[in-house]
Amino acid sequence: MNTGILPASTTVSLTTEPSPGRAVTWLALRQIRRGGLTVTGLAAGMTAVVAATYGQVMADPAAAGSLRALAGNPAIRTLFGVPIGLDTAGGFVVWRVGTVIAVLLGVWSILATTRITRGEEDAGHWDVLLSGRVPLRDTVIRHLAVVMMVAAATATTITTVLLAAGTPPAGAIIHGAGTGLLGVFFAAVAALTAQVFPARSPATGTAVAVLGVGLLARMIGDGVTALGWLHWLSPFGLLTLSGPYVHNRTPPLLLLAVAAALTTTATLAAAGRRDIRGGLIPAPAGRPARTSLLAGVETFAVRRTLLPATGWLIGIGAYYLLIGLTAVSVTGFLRDNPALAGQAAQAGFAGLGSIPGFAATLFAILAMPVAGFTTVRMTAFLAAETDRRLTLLTSQPVTRIRLLGAEVAVTAVAAAFLVTGAGLLTWAGVTIMGGDLALAAALHGTWNVLPIVLLSLGAAVLAVGWAPRWTGLIGGLPSVGAFLLLIIAESTAAPLWVRDLSPFAHLAPVPLTGPDPAASAIMLATGVTLAVIGGLGYRRRDLLS
Amino acid sequence: MTDSALCAVQLTKRYGRLTALDALDLDVLPGEVFGFLGPNGAGKSTTIRLLLGLARPTAGRAEVFGVDAADVARAHGHLAYVPADVALWPQLTGAEILHLQARTGPGTDVAYRDELVERFALDVSKPARTYSTGNRQKVALVAAFATRAPLLVLDEPTSGLDPLMEHEFRTAVRQARDRGQTVFLSSHQLAEVEAVCDRVGILRAGRLVEVATISDLRGLRRSEVTISYTGTAPDLTMIPGVAAVQPAGDGQLQFTLTAAPAPALRALAAVDVTALAVREPSLEEIFLDYYGEQASR
Repeated sequence: MNTGILPASTTVSLTTEPSPGRAVTWLALRQIRRGGLTVTGLAAGMTAVVAATYGQVMADPAAAGSLRALAGNPAIRTLFGVPIGLDTAGGFVVWRVGTVIAVLLGVWSILATTRITRGEEDAGHWDVLLSGRVPLRDTVIRHLAVVMMVAAATATTITTVLLAAGTPPAGAIIHGAGTGLLGVFFAAVAALTAQVFPARSPATGTAVAVLGVGLLARMIGDGVTALGWLHWLSPFGLLTLSGPYVHNRTPPLLLLAVAAALTTTATLAAAGRRDIRGGLIPAPAGRPARTSLLAGVETFAVRRTLLPATGWLIGIGAYYLLIGLTAVSVTGFLRDNPALAGQAAQAGFAGLGSIPGFAATLFAILAMPVAGFTTVRMTAFLAAETDRRLTLLTSQPVTRIRLLGAEVAVTAVAAAFLVTGAGLLTWAGVTIMGGDLALAAALHGTWNVLPIVLLSLGAAVLAVGWAPRWTGLIGGLPSVGAFLLLIIAESTAAPLWVRDLSPFAHLAPVPLTGPDPAASAIMLATGVTLAVIGGLGYRRRDLLS
Repeated sequence: MTDSALCAVQLTKRYGRLTALDALDLDVLPGEVFGFLGPNGAGKSTTIRLLLGLARPTAGRAEVFGVDAADVARAHGHLAYVPADVALWPQLTGAEILHLQARTGPGTDVAYRDELVERFALDVSKPARTYSTGNRQKVALVAAFATRAPLLVLDEPTSGLDPLMEHEFRTAVRQARDRGQTVFLSSHQLAEVEAVCDRVGILRAGRLVEVATISDLRGLRRSEVTISYTGTAPDLTMIPGVAAVQPAGDGQLQFTLTAAPAPALRALAAVDVTALAVREPSLEEIFLDYYGEQASR
């Protein structure tokens, strides 16, 4: 065969210099542009909505009173942080949506980073990419930079929105910069774990664990005065320390920036020391077969759920153990402040001074992480379908309904374990501190949120059957979406029917009162109906692959 | 219809305005090795997805041993499948995946499976994450060949295998046929199809253009004749069965022959032919002829 040189006439004359580095950056940008726009848009939208309603809320004495009561609610305080500067529009926005947006941006940064770096490498997509002129370190840093750009864009939009709302520039800049730096930091953490671990799931899991521990450290720091120094160890705590609109401190943000820079440097060092498709921690070379729980579709679903469910149980359990341990001191504080308790009662948080009342308000928010777990499991099931891991099973004599049914049933049982675990650990915490909470009361309280969790699961199954690409969003609507709706409705004095759309508005405060069987039955029936409709869609549609 | 191992009737799949498969009629008989040929994008994998009930036909129907392909619990009881691009659960080892497939499948001959693992030189103790494309394919092949399912559906199963393993693959296909299993082999590797298949269907741009036995397909061939001569060139115009006459250098002439050679030989006898070479085209060339014609339209 003639392998001679191409004749001159066919030589392509290049009119522009090729820029492989820029091409890689574009590739990274293409993979995250939709998610990035969504996150930035959500952050801007939530900030704008809350900033716009501040004047309206403060003009209405009833709304202002219920807001103060809401701010005194320990569940809200642990979730949203200690309210400082509620008397200014800026401070109000920071307290109301700052933590939510920070968590949203942090989690998205982690998921996006591991997806486009380790995920792409795992899938073999980088083999071709890295055979080009751009080395691994450059590829990693360019992908990381793109995710960090989204965090920076979010910071800029938040600041712009707050400036447009007429809040003081110093606070707007501190708050925007803090949120953006947090996103940058977690993107760097995820990029580092993606170099350390040879697979995407441990990389994502470890980075999310860092975020979870950071959030927990801030909550402990908020709740236990003696442990306030924990704020310095947590990215979320550093945001609290920066005190936008009140203190406007820059050193905590500088510390966060230094931490992000160090993590990025470590990422580059790690990327230079590993093989492509490998991690710093080598993949195990081989092991004897462990065939337990591989006997069928159902047991295999159990096997795949065990590890993630354990991870979620540790996270949720740690939080509720903490709630249990602090319950005695917090309720004591509220009992000693009748004015605050009175305002809380007016706003519908009666009995916060008692442990059952305190537990009831905190059990309500348990629905969110547990529904998050069920939604994540459903998106994982879909991911197995799209990346064709499920193909070998779908070609076995097993109906699709059985495949999906096994996954849904195992997920529902795991969710029941999670809420039971939360109940047990709350009870244990209270009992250790000498408080008074019956085990049955704790368990009834946590089991009471199961209808919302199952409603979420039903919504996710509906999406799996009919709109698979939207599973994450639709699955999150009845839990996180509905909770945000309730909070926004309550703090903006929205019409009653808006508030009533949220399942949380119909959740009885168990163990303070008995359960509301009618409301629970309606939620359960809706969840089951959604799941059945979703199952019918899944049975009929083409598999994605 | 229940005589067929696989049967498609007017099977059609459209994705929006794109017609991926257009009114496919196909019958695969029990016990035969059926080759399903076509270039990339012809609709081979779409056909298989429809036959397996992984996608729903826009029109028409597909049956596996008389069972509607949509009834996967029954239809898949008769078959084992090797996908074109095998993806495995990364955390499970090869042995664990084989175990899972055996326990959820239509019945597995465990002794034969162990033999196949040996023959394909597969290290089943490794997690699937570390497997190359070829090793992932081996896992799926071993799982499929070890079943007692009467039908094996193999979608380009050897694309990642080395020649030694390809040889093992062909042996395994022949053994499957000897056991009475039907094999539906989608491929674009003609040598492979030529080596193991009894009948071949050729798919192009979503349409079935031909179903023929391997020998029929060779019968479609045209012999390529090259002659050397001295003196005047032979006049081959108007000779039946002779086409594409063209000079092939000094004193040489090339033409194709699709009919009985007698008339051409009579015409050649009129000149001084010093050498004559007849070449049989490979299946590959026949195949390229098909698509060459289609492409030039």
